[in-house]
Order: sequence, then C-alpha cells, then structure tokens
Amino acid sequence: MSSNMIMLKSSDGASFEIEEAAARKSKIIANMIEVECVDEDKAIPLQNVTGNILALVIEYCNKHIVDDDDDVATEEASEEEEEAKKKKVDDWEAEFMNSMSLETMFELLLAANYLNIKSLIDLVCQTIANNIKDKTPEEVRKIFSIENDFTPEEEEEIRKENAWAFG
Amino acid sequence: MKKSSPISIINDLILEILSRLPLKSVARFRCVSKLWASMFGSPYFKELFLTRSLAKPRLLFAIVENGDEDAKACGVWSFFSLPQLEHPYEKSSSTLVAAAEFHVKFSPDNLKINHFLDLRYCSCGYASGLFYIHGNRYQARPLICNPITGRYAITPKRYTYRKAYSFFGFDPIDKQYKALSMAYSCGPGRNKILTFGSGDMRWRKIKSPLGYDLKSDGVCINGVLYYLASTERSDSDSDDMNDYLCKYDYMIVCFDVRSEKFTFIDVEKFCRLINYKGKLAMIYWEDDVDIYEICYYGKDLDEYLEKKKNLDADGTNELHVWVLEDVEKQEWSKYAYTWTDDKFFRSHVSIAGATTASGEIVFSMRNYTCKQPFYVFYFNPERKTLQRVEIQGFGEAFKQPCSVRTFVNHVEDLNVNDLELLKSFHPPLVEPEYVESDSESDYDNWS
Repeated sequence: MSSNMIMLKSSDGASFEIEEAAARKSKIIANMIEVECVDEDKAIPLQNVTGNILALVIEYCNKHIVDDDDDVATEEASEEEEEAKKKKVDDWEAEFMNSMSLETMFELLLAANYLNIKSLIDLVCQTIANNIKDKTPEEVRKIFSIENDFTPEEEEEIRKENAWAFG
Repeated sequence: MKKSSPISIINDLILEILSRLPLKSVARFRCVSKLWASMFGSPYFKELFLTRSLAKPRLLFAIVENGDEDAKACGVWSFFSLPQLEHPYEKSSSTLVAAAEFHVKFSPDNLKINHFLDLRYCSCGYASGLFYIHGNRYQARPLICNPITGRYAITPKRYTYRKAYSFFGFDPIDKQYKALSMAYSCGPGRNKILTFGSGDMRWRKIKSPLGYDLKSDGVCINGVLYYLASTERSDSDSDDMNDYLCKYDYMIVCFDVRSEKFTFIDVEKFCRLINYKGKLAMIYWEDDVDIYEICYYGKDLDEYLEKKKNLDADGTNELHVWVLEDVEKQEWSKYAYTWTDDKFFRSHVSIAGATTASGEIVFSMRNYTCKQPFYVFYFNPERKTLQRVEIQGFGEAFKQPCSVRTFVNHVEDLNVNDLELLKSFHPPLVEPEYVESDSESDYDNWS
C-alpha cells in the first residue's frame, strides 16, 4: 500500500498530514485523488469541517486503514482470528465514541456525511441512537431543536395510543 | 459549519439516526412533532427500519403461569426479549450473562389461557411478529397479540373437542396472518381457519385430506406452515406404554398459508421442527421419545425426563439434524453430532429454533422460577460449540415454576405495530357452532 502523504486543511485553517490510503476512506477525497486534482504541495481545503472535528475524522481513518490492510494480508486467517480482530475494532470504536458529547457527535456526523465516509456515518448514527433511545419526547425536542407543533389534545391522543412505549 | 448547529443536521441523517432506534423509542417519539410523526408513518421509514431490524434479530420469551385455574396469576402471560448473540462462541469458556427487556404482562379479559397440565391443551404460535394462543376447549377464545405492545384481538369463539390443535402462519405475499385450528382426529368437529388481516374475522371450514394426531408446534417458513402429525400404525395393538410410543407413523404436514392446501412428507420418527436458515429441519435425539404421548398418559413431562431410566443422557448421545434441501424431491441433508452433556440439558431444555445468520441452534429451558437461574444455549453445529447464556431480568414475581416458550429471530417491524386490527378489541359475541361432546365423562377417564 502506498504511503504517500497528503495534506488536509480545516475550515479554521489547521493543517493535517494524512496517509493517502487513510484519506481514501473518504469517497470525496478518493475521487479528488482519482481525477488528479490534488496538488502534492498544496493542502486540500475542507471548508465544512473544523480542525477539532477533522482531527477526529483522521483518527478514525488512520485506525481503519490499518484494518483494511490486514484484511488483504490475511486472507488465510482463520474465522476465529477474524472475529478477534472485529472485536478489537468494535472495542476501539466504543472507546472512540465514548468520550464524545452529543454536540460533537452531530458535528462529526455532518463531517462524515460531507466527506462521504459510510462506515463513520453508520457508527455515529448508531451511537446517537443509543444515546437518545431512553430519553423523553421533551428531551429529544431540545436535542434536535424541534418545536412541538401539536396541540395539547393532539399530543395527549398520540401518547394514549402509544402508552405502552412510555412505561 | 457553525458550532452548535444540530438543527442543520439534514433530514436524511435524522432518518439514519432514527431508523436505528428500538421500536419502543420510535413509538414514544411520535409525539415529538408532526414532522416526526408523519416520518415514522411513511413507507420509506418503515422499510428502512425493517432493514435495520433484520440485522439484529431477538429472542422472544413468553412466560405463562400455570396451575390452579382459580389462582390469580394463572394464565397471565409475560413477554420479554433480548438481542440474539451474534458470535456467542467468542467467549465459549464461560457462562455469559444477558439482560432481557420486559414488554408486557397481561391476561386479556381474564381469559386465563394456560397449559392446563397437558401441553396439548394449549397451542402457541409465533409468526412474523405476532403471537397466537389458544387454550383448552372451555376457554375457546383464541387470542392474537403483539407481544411487544400488548395490543391484542380476541377471535370469535372456537370450541374444540378435547385438544387445542392450533397453528399460526403468515403469508408474505398477501401479507396476511392465518390461524389454523384442526379437529381432534377421534372426535367430532371440523377443521377451521381464520384470516387475520382483512375483513371480518371468522372461522371458516377447511378440508384436510387426512385425520391425524398432532405432535408439534407449527413452524412457518416463507408462507408454508409445517407441523408434525402421527397416525396410529395398524399392526400394533399393545397397550404397554413403551410399545405405545413406537406404534405411530409420523409425517410432516405442510400447509400453504396462501392457497390453503395441504401436502405431506413422511418421516421415520418423532422429531422437532425448526426453521434452519430458511429451510425446514427436523431435529431429534438418538433416543428421543414422543413427548406428546408421555403427556397422554397423564405423566408429568419433567418428572418423566428426570428419571434416569427413561433417558440415557449421562452417556454419549447423538443429536440429529436433517435439513430439507428440496421439498419436491424430499431430499434431506443429514447431520449428526455427538453430544456429551449432563442430564440437565436433556431434561430441562427444549429447542427454540435456529438463528438466521449463522444457523446456531438455540435451546431454552422450559420452566422458570425466580429461585433458579434461567439459561439458553447456543449450539453451533459447524464448530460443535455450546455456549450457555444466563438470562436475567424476568423478575422476582415468578415464585412458582412457569412455562417458558422461547422463539428465535423476532424482528421489530413498524408495520406489525401499526396493524389496525390489533386495537385490543373483541368480535361481536355471537354464539358459534358448539361441538357438544357427548363423552364429557370420558375426558376424566382418559386424562
């Protein structure tokens, strides 16, 4: 695997060096590399991603590029080893998401969406879902900045119909 | 992107997040806003949600309190579920512990549907998210319910002579559920079927070419309902019980839920039927006995299985799994697994089914009391590994041993949840055809 380094530049002007192989986790960057619009000396500007979020994205990509390499190298690996490896990645992802605030998760999700990194979108969506699943409708409205447009009667009706879910 | 702008999370991403929620959260978040309510009701979201759910099937437990019909708790059903283990053999050295999530506990209308001593006096069926129970003839009120929400519908009365031989299936083409209630072979009454999903609920007559005794629960695979049946062998006339257990011919009844046609597959012996990765499989132990016939003699099944002389489970045993590869040609793939395990396993555990993805055979204890741990076991035929998982969270309320029915591959589905028919209603109470048995006293002598 090539170890070419490329530069990424965040919206607030921070520069990050990243292995090309890791950066290719992003479909957008991979496309840019394919059509050769990446100048080797110049950083790719990412206007929608701040430095602190880009650092997280890069951390994620670096971790996962190693795993993808392994996949190629160990085609012969036994199922047990595969599972052990998957477990290791799962543990890393749990740890990675664990310390993040909900706000950071949303920002990371937007960045992953903008950079088109499917596996990161999946990971963040699932983590946010786990985070909000036990919350009340009021708390969820706050998190998503949603205004309640039901009349009290309408809301009462829906609550009654779904009473089993409020237990 | 500005900081703290979760509002700008575009709708597609919100859908991605919400489709990963448990069913219960989706139901609760319906009152967040009108937009969310309509989103949850859209076919697109339902499809997305189902796709996600299919990737995380669950074990479903139905726990029923048995015993004295006058007891308050008798016939009260409780439902629990938890995610199926994906790779249980990862830590195969120890017993895993998992917590079950409670859903509902009820006895609709005080129906008290329960096993009533003999497992043939109560039928349960599970198909595509819904649960069906039919108690003994005195109750005569089969019930279809959503085990997660507790919404239910009670079908019109269905009196049967002696046994509740009832099955529940789903036709994936017309998306209809049907309940099939077979008449007892040596009694009066007719076979009937009920369509649950459109129009009036009523029991219609249905023709079946043969009379037979039923020997299993139903398993519904791709719109075909399978169950085991037996007919008495003509060359046997012994009354000795041990001979009696061998005097049957067995067959698998295949009922096409959509066309309502019966076909039959002959099998050599008593077995349990499961859905094995989308195919029908029969499972039996080398020294298996027809547990329905044990009940017939009024014996307590647990007591019978506990007795060492009845079950040579201390020694090596073989578990046979036959997978029906081709229904037309009746071609089976046959597997046998040498089994060395303590007596506990054989006498306290029943086969719940097999997991969709990896085809692990799930065994579950048949009874629960809060005084003892409750286990399920994942057996992987390919790796020959057995993983024990202790299920916690059933609660302290079950002081007396309760029957547990365990179902595999329960998938959360918003379509099932929104079924208009399940609004906790009863059909009009018209008196149905009542098969008056003229041998009421016989009943006592026989059981």
